[in-house]
Order: sequence, then C-alpha cells, then structure tokens
Amino acid sequence: MTTAVAAKPGEQAEDNPVVETYTYYPGCTLYTKAKSLDRCARLAAEKVGFRLEEMPSWVCCGAIYNTSEDDFAGRIGAQRNIVRASALGDRLVTLCAACHNVLKRAQARLNDPANAVERQRVLDFLDEPYEREVRVLHYLEVLKNDIGWEALARKVVKPLAGLKVASYYGCLMVRPAAVLGFDDPENPQVMDELVRTLGGEPTGFDFKAECCGGYLVVNRPEAARVASARVLDNAKSWGAEAVVTTCPLCQYNLDKLRKPGKAGELPVFYFTQLLGLAVGLPKDELGFDSNAVDPVPLLEKRGLL
Amino acid sequence: MTDDRRPERAAEGQMPGELRPDGGVAPGTRLGAARHAPRVGVFVCHCGINIGGVVRVPELVERVRAIPGIAVATDYQYCCSDPGQQIIRDAIKEHSLDRVVVACCSPTLHETTFRRASADAGLNQYLCEIANIREQCAWVTPDRDEATDKAESIVRMAIARAVNDAPLEPVGVDVNKRALVIGAGIAGIQSALDIANAGYEVVLVEKEPSIGGHMAQLSETFPTLDCSQCILTPRTVEAGRHPNIRLYSYSEVAEVSGYVGNFKVRIRQKPRYVDFDACTGCGLCMEKCPGRSESSFERGLTKQKAIYRLLPQAVPNRPVINADVCIYLQKGKCGVCAKICPTQAIRYDDKEKFVEEEVGAIVMATGYELIDHVKMGNYGIGRVPDVIDGLAFERLLSASGPTQGEVKRPSDGKTPKKVVFVQCAGSRDQEHGMPYCSKICCMYTAKQAILYKHRVHDGEAYVCYIDVRTPGKGFEEFYKRATDEGITYIRGKVSKIFRRGDKTVVWTADTLAGRKVELEADLVVLASAVIANPEGVKLARQLKLQVDQHGFQTEAHPKLRPVETLTGGFFLAGCGQGPKDIPETVAQASAAAAKVLAMFGQKRLFHAPTTASVDEDVCVGCGNCEKTCAYGAVQVDPKRRVAVVNVALCEGCGACAVACPSGAMSHNNFSKKGTYEMVDRA
Repeated sequence: MTTAVAAKPGEQAEDNPVVETYTYYPGCTLYTKAKSLDRCARLAAEKVGFRLEEMPSWVCCGAIYNTSEDDFAGRIGAQRNIVRASALGDRLVTLCAACHNVLKRAQARLNDPANAVERQRVLDFLDEPYEREVRVLHYLEVLKNDIGWEALARKVVKPLAGLKVASYYGCLMVRPAAVLGFDDPENPQVMDELVRTLGGEPTGFDFKAECCGGYLVVNRPEAARVASARVLDNAKSWGAEAVVTTCPLCQYNLDKLRKPGKAGELPVFYFTQLLGLAVGLPKDELGFDSNAVDPVPLLEKRGLL
Repeated sequence: MTDDRRPERAAEGQMPGELRPDGGVAPGTRLGAARHAPRVGVFVCHCGINIGGVVRVPELVERVRAIPGIAVATDYQYCCSDPGQQIIRDAIKEHSLDRVVVACCSPTLHETTFRRASADAGLNQYLCEIANIREQCAWVTPDRDEATDKAESIVRMAIARAVNDAPLEPVGVDVNKRALVIGAGIAGIQSALDIANAGYEVVLVEKEPSIGGHMAQLSETFPTLDCSQCILTPRTVEAGRHPNIRLYSYSEVAEVSGYVGNFKVRIRQKPRYVDFDACTGCGLCMEKCPGRSESSFERGLTKQKAIYRLLPQAVPNRPVINADVCIYLQKGKCGVCAKICPTQAIRYDDKEKFVEEEVGAIVMATGYELIDHVKMGNYGIGRVPDVIDGLAFERLLSASGPTQGEVKRPSDGKTPKKVVFVQCAGSRDQEHGMPYCSKICCMYTAKQAILYKHRVHDGEAYVCYIDVRTPGKGFEEFYKRATDEGITYIRGKVSKIFRRGDKTVVWTADTLAGRKVELEADLVVLASAVIANPEGVKLARQLKLQVDQHGFQTEAHPKLRPVETLTGGFFLAGCGQGPKDIPETVAQASAAAAKVLAMFGQKRLFHAPTTASVDEDVCVGCGNCEKTCAYGAVQVDPKRRVAVVNVALCEGCGACAVACPSGAMSHNNFSKKGTYEMVDRA
C-alpha cells in the first residue's frame, strides 16, 4: 500500500515547523462510493496542519460491530487493523462513522482487562505483534481536541457565511456513549461546533441521532426512504438549507433515495467537503459531482463558489 | 508515659485483667482507673428467639463463667426490659462489679439503656460495653454451633475491651442559643418561625433577593387546589417582620467554623446596588429600567428588568440590580433608576459585604432544582420552544405569572388546545437522568392537567406515565378526579419529542394496548426530575456534611433520626435531603426546629468523651492528624508544636490515631493495647 502523503524534511511549511502525523484507516467505502469524504479529508488536513498517513494492508472493519459474547471471529477483522496500526503509533484516525464505531468498540474490547482470556486468544490467532494500546479517533476528535476550534478558525479562508446547516450524526457516531465517549448521545454538538467554526450557521434539529434507514435500503428501500425523509423534513423545519454528515450510508440514504432534480431538496454534504471548501480547496477537489442533489447552486447563491 | 506497645500474647484461657493489672488506663486519659483486677459481670440477652433461637445461650453463659476473673455471668430473655435492667443493677451492687458486658443487639440500639442502668447502680457508664451477638452473629450465622462459638469470641473481645476501659466523664460545652437557617423556601421559613416563636433568635439566609423559594413560583397546590401564594405569603410576611428573625436576603453562607453549640458563620451579602433602608419599595425604578435579562424565576418565559424584584409580594420588598445587564454598570450610561428614585436609594458603587454571626445550631434548608435540560437531548427542552418544564407551566398558570394565569404557549402566544404532560422526565431513568423517583411529579402533573382543563375548557390533556404513584392523603382520589375530568392517561415511556411545523410531536408507547403512539401537541410539559440544589450540594460538601451520590444531604438514620446529620449541630429540612411535597417539607422543617429547640432547652451540651486524645510528651507536631481530621477537630498548637484535640468537635472516628506516626494520638477507651488484646481473645 502507498503512503498517501509522504513527509520529506525541508518540505514542511514554515509556519508549521512540526506537522503531526496520524495513522489513518480509510475503509472500503471511502475508496468507492465516498471518495470525496476521503479526498477532502486528506487535502484539508494538509491545509489545517496535520497529516494522515494511511496504514498499509488494512482490511475490512466488519462494517457492523458483533455484540455476541462468544463469537470472537466477528470482531477479528477490526482487531487485526488495530494490532497492525499499533506498529505505527498509538493513534488511529477514521472518517466513516461505521468504521469508527466498529474499530473503537473492537479496540475497547481488546483492551478491556475483563476480557484478558479472549484478548490472548485473539492475539494468538493474529500472530502479529501488538506493540501498544491504540486510541481510535474520529477525524472530528482530532479537529476538536488536538487542533482546537480556535486554531481551526484561523485556517478558514472562505467562511461559510450565511450557510444554514443541519448536522446529522446518525446512530453510529456517538453511541454507545460509554464506549465512544465522544459527544452527547441524544443531542450531539461536535459537527455543529465545526460548522460554526467554519463560519456557517448550525441550525440544530431534532433528528440528529435518529436512524436514516441504514441497510434497509438494500432489502426494503421504501422503509429507508420513509426514515430518511423524516430526518430531512425535520431539518427543513429548522430552517436548514443543507445537511452535513460523517457516514457514507447516511449520506447515500439522505442524498440518493430521493427523486433527483426535485425542487427544494437539501444537498447532503460530507463534513470534509465543507471543511475543504472553508480552508480553501479548489472546487474540483471537493467532489460535488458525486452528490445526487447538486449543491453548487446553493453554494453559488451564498457566494461560496 | 503509658506503655502502648503490643502486649505479649495471653496464655490460653487466661483472664485478661490478670495479665496486666495496671492496664486499665487508655493512653492520654488522666482520670485514673481500677488498680486491682477488674470484676466483670456478663449479661447475655436471648432477645426472644432473635439470639436465643440460634446461639445456645445457656451453653454460652457456662463458657463465659469458666473464664477466670468473671465475677458473674447470667442470661435473661429481654435484658432491655425493666426486670432485665434490674438484674444488671442488682448484680453490680451484689458482686461489686466494676465492668459490665451486655451481650445483646447492636450498640446503636441499647448501649444507652445499659449504660444508664449501670450508672444508676453507681458504675461509671463508660465501663459498660456491648457485645453485639445479634446483628453480627445470630442474624448472620445459621449454624447453631458456629453461632455459639462466634458469640463466645465476641463476648471475650468485649471483656478484653471493658477491662481496658477507663472511667470517663462526658464533655460539656455551652450552647449559643441562636440558630442559623440556610435557605428561605417554605422549609427554611417554617423552621425559622418555629424557633423564633419559641423565643430564640434566628439568622435566616437566602440567596435570592426575596424569600419563599420555589413555593412562590407555584400556582395552586395538590390535592386541595388552594392557591400557593395565598398560603405562603402569610408565612413570608411573618418571617420578614418577626422580631426574633434576622433576615439576610441576597446573601450566602461563605464559611462556617466552630462546633455544635458554638458556630461562627461568615455571610456574604451580594451587592444589591439599592440602599436597603432608603428604598421604600415603590417600584418606579422597575417601570423605567431599559435593561433586560432572562428571568430564572419566570423560567425563561419572559424577560425581567435589570433592576427587579421576583414577585409583587416580595419579602423584603426591595429591588436589586443585576449588574450583568445594567446599562449603567456595564457602560456607564443610563442611570434612569437613580434619576427617578424619589428617595435617592440607588447605590451604583455598592460592593459585596461580609458579616459574622454566632449561632449554636444550623438548619440546612437548601432546597431543590430541576434537572439540567442538557441531560435530556431527546426531549427537546431548551431547543423546541413549546417544550417547557413543570415549574414554567406553574408560572403560566399563576395569576402573578407572565400571562396573568392564561395558558399561552411560549412560541407564538396562542392558547394550546392539546397539551401533553410527560412524567418521569429524567426521573427513574438511569440512562439520561436520575435513578430515583422524584415523588412529587405524579401529583403535580395531575394538578396541572386539571388546572389546564379548568382554564381551557375545550382543551385536550394527555399524561404519559410509566406508573402513577399516589401514596399520600387524598392523592389517589385526586388522581381519580383527574381521570374523571377527562384527562387521558397513556402508559408508556416517552422516547422522543420534536418539532413538526408549529406542532410539537411526542413519540411514546401505549404499553397497555401494545402499540406505538404519536401525539401531535401544541404544548408539552415535562415533569423534570427533582435534583438537589447544586449550590446546596456545594455548600454541604464545603461544610463536610455527608451527601449521597446524587448530592442529597444524608440524615443520621433513615428511619429514626430523619432530620439530624452525623455532624453535631446540623439539622435537615426540605428537599435538600430528598424530594418531597409541601406538607412533608413543612413537617420535616418543624421537626428540625424541634430538634434545635430540644438542644436549646439544655443548659449545657454533653458530648461523648470517647474522643481522640494526645500524649503531648510523645507528639512531635508533624500535623498528620490535622490533615486527616474530617471535622477540623485537631490542630497543631503553633507555639508548643503539639497537636491539640478540640473535644467538642471530635466525633471519635479514630482516623488521627491511625495517621499518627509516633503513637502519640489515641482514642479514649479504644487504645491500641485494648484492641490488640481484643484480637488476641477473639
């Protein structure tokens, strides 16, 4: 596997003498349907002042965290990634809400002293050195806790002035709160804070953490359509003109389950697209062509493109 | 200097008193003790079948009798009865006993009884010890042989302790017969009035500009529907002008030092910016003031002026200025209130002041708050405008509230035609709120639904509940009345509340019908969980009073000492101790006052002498004890560099004796030597 952005001494920007590098786990969807989530994140990181270094030979996270007590095989993929990442550092950054959820919970189980027997079994099976405990972080955690909103605000070159955005977290970003430890499970705030930092107006709404329909889109698309429409309708009633999310599946259900071209539909961004826009990535790097509801007219109307 | 090292292990079956005939003195005590081998009497109680049904009492008595040096050992069905106590008194005289061991229930129950009986017969009461063979043996040891062996060990230990006991005299302190009451809600007012009416002075401290607490916010009270203001204001007026009550409104307790009977209290008076004596309370200033702030008294339903009073019947009827929003204090311009005031009572240069008061007893009446909105993100409160809490709805119903008693919703001022009341919003909810039941919400929700129907005749009222709990006089009948008046009760836990257009949608379940329910309401009222007032929690922690995991102040005994605390001189009243309704609050407040008065009825207070004591010859003044002491009872004398125990403050916990590296600190009648001997005899 390639390292996405190799650091060469002497190439570092002068105002950033030390550039933090984070081991990065993209996950499969970010190489296929959610390319803009991944691409904007990597490029925006460079602008903000840190670097994502993709870990070599990552495998599927498993997509859904296996909660059955005795079936350790269901968690082995996620835990293999953590063990491999441990060779590179003590932090592993993810972007996709599902990967983040699975990896964080798998890691918590791996490091839980109460599961020492299972841990040994897993490590014996993997037969790879587990160098150190790895903290699984979401990209938003890096922005909020490591960079800080104030420092990020200084990197904004194109404030999202006047853009009213509803932040949609879905079910996987913040739950179970005891393990993810990220934000309020019922009324999360971190993306709203991000939108405000980027100069936009977070509207807040009631369905931040309700289900978008999830994988029902595969076998009962009608049910998924009802669920995602409910989210969007509530966002609209709060005056939102766009929705922002972290999850490729949420983005798909909210964005692509609707009849394209219908008037009044809200564009659904990945948060990295808005971040990239605000820190000055050029338009053709932002991947708006992959959005089913074209966000360009809205952004032009707000003078952002 | 007393030899306090571990003694040689006693030979099997040897009487402890024989080992060290001079060993009766607890280190540090200067009272002298028996110089001959103590004569011990042991009295074993059957406690009916409580002890007698498990421990073989006659066999136990035989075994105890075989211990050398026991002057008398006998048993009786109920030692605590009059004839039982008489047996002990007679034995003390007949056998010239100088130590008594009663093997019975826990010392928390009858230690006083038996010590008093011993004292009646002329024995120093601290030479009587209890061997707890009920709670610590008979009740927890089903096997009769094991229980009998264990009881023997416990009795042997008590004998070892008794022979090491020294005669002690209770510590007497004078009582300052003034009381401090912290918090002037209905609890504090009731306590203060009861104490003041008995002829003692009361210092009443309230953090708000006027007294009355949450009760002043309520419209009507359940289950009688009488007007809250109408029954409260006679009390606030009486408290405000009572010659024995010194009221400090807009003030807080900053510091308390001293001990039971003799506390020194430092009170912080917040700047009012209004001269209390010059102001007549005419209210002109409030009419003209252009500054605005959120009103916590009106639960955010309306703005209040920068110079404000909480309600028209405020006691004291003096406004204060909120410096955060006063245009003059912020920007140096405006000054309208000063210009308009007919008595020139405005003082922009007012500063906070501190006053000292001396009192003998303190009543904690710090009250409650409702749970923070942030903890209930799924209920939309604080975000969805037409979701309000129970206190806000009280303000909507109240004639002195922002709508003069007309029910109007906050978003657009329309009269809501469909109101959903949500019970257990944060109560009985370990995930989002508090695990306990807030006790008052079932009744006040029924009351609010009834009152809503009285104001809006064509309105629909729904109550979402998990259980309706009505344990109180007239409560079940009141709930019945609510259902009879057409209020619909739906049994299920509400999962989510959100906005749809100008409606507020409630998602819940009807668990009796087994289906999901969606209610589209005009207004949603949450019966938010009652929590201990956070400022009260902070104060209780600062005063080192015990609080439970939720911040409620802990009573000395949950059943038998419900208004006392484990710290001498502190008493509890009202919701600071746990959620309760008005009658219960008033009852507890009067009980706390009665306890204060019982204290004031004594000439001197007596404190158990089983405190810490210092051997000053050994103490090096390191100060470990001072750091360890939770009661501030030990201090190192800066001149002599030795620790000094304030016996009036000392609760006898023994922590300092453990912390002392040189062995200078010990505990009266709990010496190391006695303890080692107890272990050896066990």
